[in-house]
Amino acid sequence: MNYIKTIEELHEMLTNGEVTSEELVQDSLKKAHLVNDKCHAFVTLLDDAKGGFVTDDLLSGLPYGIKDNYSTKGILSTGSSNTLKDYVPFFSATAVLNLEKHNVIPIGKTAMDEFGMGGTGTTAHTGNILNPWDLKRMAGGSSSGSAASVAAGVYPFALGSDTGDSIRKPAAFCGIVGYKPTYGMISRYGLFPFASSLDHCGCLTRSVKDAAIVVDAMKGQDKNDLTSWDSSSIHLYDSLDGKVKGKKLFYIKEIVNMENYPDASSELKEHLDNFHKTLKLLEEEGVSVDEVSIDRDLINAIFSVYQCLSCAEATSNMSNLTGIIFGPRGEGKNINEMMKDHRTKGFSSLIKRRFVIGSYVLQKENQEKYFVNAQRVRRLIVDKMNELFQKYDALIMPVSTGPAPYIDGSKDEITKDNTTNLEEHLQIGNFGGFPSITIPNGFVSNLPVGINITGKCYDDVNVLNIAYALESKMPYKNQIAPLLKEEDYE
Amino acid sequence: MHNFTKELVDDLADKLLIGLTDDENKLILNEFNIIDETMELITKIPNISEVTPMTHALDDQTYTPRADEKEESIKIEDILANCDFYEGREIKVPKVVGGE
Repeated sequence: MNYIKTIEELHEMLTNGEVTSEELVQDSLKKAHLVNDKCHAFVTLLDDAKGGFVTDDLLSGLPYGIKDNYSTKGILSTGSSNTLKDYVPFFSATAVLNLEKHNVIPIGKTAMDEFGMGGTGTTAHTGNILNPWDLKRMAGGSSSGSAASVAAGVYPFALGSDTGDSIRKPAAFCGIVGYKPTYGMISRYGLFPFASSLDHCGCLTRSVKDAAIVVDAMKGQDKNDLTSWDSSSIHLYDSLDGKVKGKKLFYIKEIVNMENYPDASSELKEHLDNFHKTLKLLEEEGVSVDEVSIDRDLINAIFSVYQCLSCAEATSNMSNLTGIIFGPRGEGKNINEMMKDHRTKGFSSLIKRRFVIGSYVLQKENQEKYFVNAQRVRRLIVDKMNELFQKYDALIMPVSTGPAPYIDGSKDEITKDNTTNLEEHLQIGNFGGFPSITIPNGFVSNLPVGINITGKCYDDVNVLNIAYALESKMPYKNQIAPLLKEEDYE
Repeated sequence: MHNFTKELVDDLADKLLIGLTDDENKLILNEFNIIDETMELITKIPNISEVTPMTHALDDQTYTPRADEKEESIKIEDILANCDFYEGREIKVPKVVGGE
């Protein structure tokens, strides 16, 4: 039987006896092993997972995946880093506990860019995570394994985290939905911290409605995370009605217009053409879309502001990874040598470089120029967005410069060219804590590409509704990558 | 523009208790220059020094401390289950004071 269904459809199959939860879990594990062999999407597979109770709850009895930076009690949680390669937490993240109450069954911990610090899926300690649409391409990062496994049809959803675009970009590269709700709607307690002021929990699914169902179950105020807030009056799934007539959207001219890219590749041209065609689908539904101009200095600063803030926060957050409190002890004659040995051998090159940058911008003599100025520009960018959200319901933008890049030749290095702003603009959503969702909107070079919708804080229902309406105008809902053989899905 | 040097990068890495290869050091120097270039532009934004730094994603929140109530703490056995070095119910750590 084919289980590539939406959550509602699977729930119906479970409740009318067409399939049992145990059958779904075993099918999911079987596919997870096949996908792991090809894409290296998992750090841990929970082969002893068993089916669960099925109730009226839409999620009950369903298998799912957890990104490996969520603490899971009694289950290896490495953050895809050698520094925590044997770490088994004695508590679970609040988001995971919230989901447990819905009788969902985790079948694996998904591989990721080490501690979330990367966008390629090439820094996991278990190897490069590959795109199920084309194994020569990257899955994107950092929620690479979650995106690859959902796209390959292992289960209907997986958890992700997003500090810069780590849910929303891999979702685009893998042709699925990636949603990070407003900052603090989901507790971060138990999520390995990367950059606390930017970190968001969220999910990867194959439909907007599934994303609403999953986040409804993950969210809630948590006494262990003082930045979480009471969202009990927000019911995402129940609020989806697809009514968008009269909504006003905008896109940013300085990032989207083709004239910014005189040497554009054919893939970029096709991607931007496709973006404008997608906007017409919304216009058919009575949505207006305006081109808005924003100070280019602010747009050009996004990437550096993100690097300064995220590297600085990461340097501080991960100073406890010494091999003394967490992780295997290093070798050395004294404690400093032991810690240096552990950190030098344990962290990937990318993380080490980010730490050095973070340390530099935090040095007393540099703080004002780099760290504090980055915080100031963050405010200018967020204020500008909030000003636009007074007039518009949401920002709509293409994700990245096209489909997933090839792994060979890719470098997760800080570089800057005229497409940097197109690659990095989703970081705006993290600066302001804005709700933001990526959905697939077509194919370029036979590979999926995505479009992103971002709205004002606490207005998640509006953002999801626009995405829901747009999704219904396109044929990509619940699509999967043709990775496995037909019989693997039967 | 700042003058970034290999020695500066090595010194920062040393403070972080991280060892770098020469290639890693070179990459960081390139990355520093790119970030520095943009941050130079930021300093030219009019009245930038008068903008209040934004330290968090949401600055409209009010935080209420949780009630000061006694809670059950984590069991020592649970903690020791994930610990490589311990004696009885105590974790063994390397000597910190008193040299090597």
